[in-house]
Amino acid sequence: MHIALLAGLVVFSVVAVLLRDLLKAAISLAVASIFLAVVFFTFNAPYIGVFEISVVAGLITVLFVSTIALTKDSGDVKESKLPVIIFPLFFAAFLIVDFLVMRSLIGRLISIPGAAEQRTFGDVFWYQRTFDLVAQIGVIFAGVFSVLALFRKSGRKDE
Amino acid sequence: MNSAWYLDMSFVAVLLFIGIYCLLTMKNLIKLFIGIEVIAKGITLALMATGWARQSVLFAQSLAITFIVVEVSVVATALAIIINIYKHTGSLDIRKLTKLKG
Amino acid sequence: MIVLFIVVPLVVASLLPLIGKISRRFLPDLLANLTMVFLLGYALTSGRQLVAAGSAVHRIFFMDQPVNIVLALDAFSLFMIVTIALVSLCVTLFSIDYMEHYGAKANYYALLLIMIAGMNGLVLTNDLFTIYLFLEVAAVASYGLVAFGLGHDELEASFKYLMLSSVTSAFILVSIAVIFGFTGRVDISGVAAGFADLKAKYAVGFCTALFLAGFGLKAAIVPFHAWLPDAHPSAPAPISAMLSGLLIKVSGIYAMTRIFFNVFGFNAALSQVMLYLGTISILAGALLALGQNDLKRMLAYSSISQIGYIVLGLGLGTPLGILGALFHVLNHAVAKSLLFLNSGSVQQATGTRALDAMGGLGKRMPFTAATTVIGSLSIAGVPPLGGFWSKLIIVIALVEARQYGFAVIAVLAGILTLWYYLLIQRRAFFGKLNETWQNVKEAPFWMTFSTVILGLLCIAIGVFFPLVMKTWIQPAAAVLSAGIINALHGMGF
Repeated sequence: MHIALLAGLVVFSVVAVLLRDLLKAAISLAVASIFLAVVFFTFNAPYIGVFEISVVAGLITVLFVSTIALTKDSGDVKESKLPVIIFPLFFAAFLIVDFLVMRSLIGRLISIPGAAEQRTFGDVFWYQRTFDLVAQIGVIFAGVFSVLALFRKSGRKDE
Repeated sequence: MNSAWYLDMSFVAVLLFIGIYCLLTMKNLIKLFIGIEVIAKGITLALMATGWARQSVLFAQSLAITFIVVEVSVVATALAIIINIYKHTGSLDIRKLTKLKG
Repeated sequence: MIVLFIVVPLVVASLLPLIGKISRRFLPDLLANLTMVFLLGYALTSGRQLVAAGSAVHRIFFMDQPVNIVLALDAFSLFMIVTIALVSLCVTLFSIDYMEHYGAKANYYALLLIMIAGMNGLVLTNDLFTIYLFLEVAAVASYGLVAFGLGHDELEASFKYLMLSSVTSAFILVSIAVIFGFTGRVDISGVAAGFADLKAKYAVGFCTALFLAGFGLKAAIVPFHAWLPDAHPSAPAPISAMLSGLLIKVSGIYAMTRIFFNVFGFNAALSQVMLYLGTISILAGALLALGQNDLKRMLAYSSISQIGYIVLGLGLGTPLGILGALFHVLNHAVAKSLLFLNSGSVQQATGTRALDAMGGLGKRMPFTAATTVIGSLSIAGVPPLGGFWSKLIIVIALVEARQYGFAVIAVLAGILTLWYYLLIQRRAFFGKLNETWQNVKEAPFWMTFSTVILGLLCIAIGVFFPLVMKTWIQPAAAVLSAGIINALHGMGF
């Protein structure tokens, strides 16, 4: 079950990368997000599952679709078919190497065992990672101001 | 570390591979950005899988949610840049963006 | 109140767009510069007392409830904060005049303040993930700033910079996830303790490689340097100064050094890798700078070369090497930002960055020419300016550690550096005055004022270098030399 979900995530990501049509690629990316969110639900992590669906599969997909709509008259970017054709080769090779390496590492690496958590999510998010919230505010401001600066009307520098 | 963690991390590696492959071979600006998005999915999976393997799901969720917030800012800025590039050159082809060389 | 370093710029940045609606030019200028003066003053005055007793740990209380924002200020962090404050103040002063014709000044100052808040936060935190977060804050602000002029070159440079920067963030995060997987902690002291217990060589090696790739990309170490010669020249001149003078050092060198020295502990393999990477950077940067015709591009390649010196000094791992490297961080930050600001003055006066189109500008722009000479000589390593002492210390440290080959290369590259900087002087400022530039004037007041301050700083740091070393740099180097011990005891809570 778990492997099926992860495989679905990988398949839709591959589709998103290899499709020529941008709109279908964006939707494929959103579907991959949904698979990832279901994986998170199986991890007993509902908060991030909901966040992933609403933000990544929702907000980011909307941003992508609006950008695609705004740049529609660009004509087709001539992509060569070569990457799409040779991809399965590289992919299969990588998969084999990847799984073999991971298999061989099982049990070889020791780690400090973890204890179960006793607090609620709110406790951890607000009280343990408070500094991250300041940084989040900073990064949101940075994004907003960058977008405002990029879309400003007057005062364009002639180059 | 239980074997489920290794399985998840191998999928993370696969997602990173797909994303980097996209960055190396695709020519459309928006497609390149989809590659970055796939990489971001891989990172989120890595954070959560590690949290799950260590039974510290709540902590990992905080990290992952913060990462998604950062990712949204980056996406917004990048798409704004892409739209501006389109306004300037009328095309989304990265091969047309080669003025800075040498 | 260490948190002021981060909160004050952020709050002012959030207010600036509103203020910008009322007063387009005067109030944003005033506010931004006052903030920078405050940061510098606060760093210089209270910082030393806070650090005198070891490292200062500041736990914030909000309405009598302890809020878990724990900031750790030790000598290394304080050194970076002072450097950031110094250079940022001069850059902000320069922007008063330079950004006039870009428009949207309030927005520009807001982004600049957010970038500074991000850099300060990166330096003050004790937590790996928070380091990554503030790195992203500064990075997103810098994407907007590089593309600020909305010209073709700027947008292209910003896009490529963004793509590469996102990949580096991925590397850093994978490493953090693996560290979290093995030790269960993300804070520096916890991770140091965890790895000291585990002795997991391969995990540490893997994470080190990923961090080297990630932070090495941010610091533009060869072979991860390709983005810098495109991104730095295209940005507006004050932003080039911030990026080259500060951001690559704070988000690249500082983060890498903090993690390698205080978390993982320095070992011989890492030392070898850093020595080789540093040397290759020095040579590649210097050789590539020689063939450039674009003034800012030459300066960008020179940055790659100087970062190589810093990595070389740090890679030695000996106290003297670290001392030289940190001193060079300060010298390069001051001198390189001075040079980039001057290139902005030249570009504004003549409209071009091509060296062969300039000529004899020194007669019409005396201050710019003089300060460029000072900055160039400092980086090239001419006594008594600061750069000479820092390079000398690095070379002595190399000889002491019996790395004679690297020492010879460092000295020879220094000669190369001097050569191409003299080329800039000759082609741009001295020689016969090109007819086209008969009527150029010296740069406006604030631009000249800020570059003169930086020039005087170059001289002062060089002449008074024993004092500078004793008060700022030696404590910082001591923090790094103490290694993991410092993380476990000094910053432990």
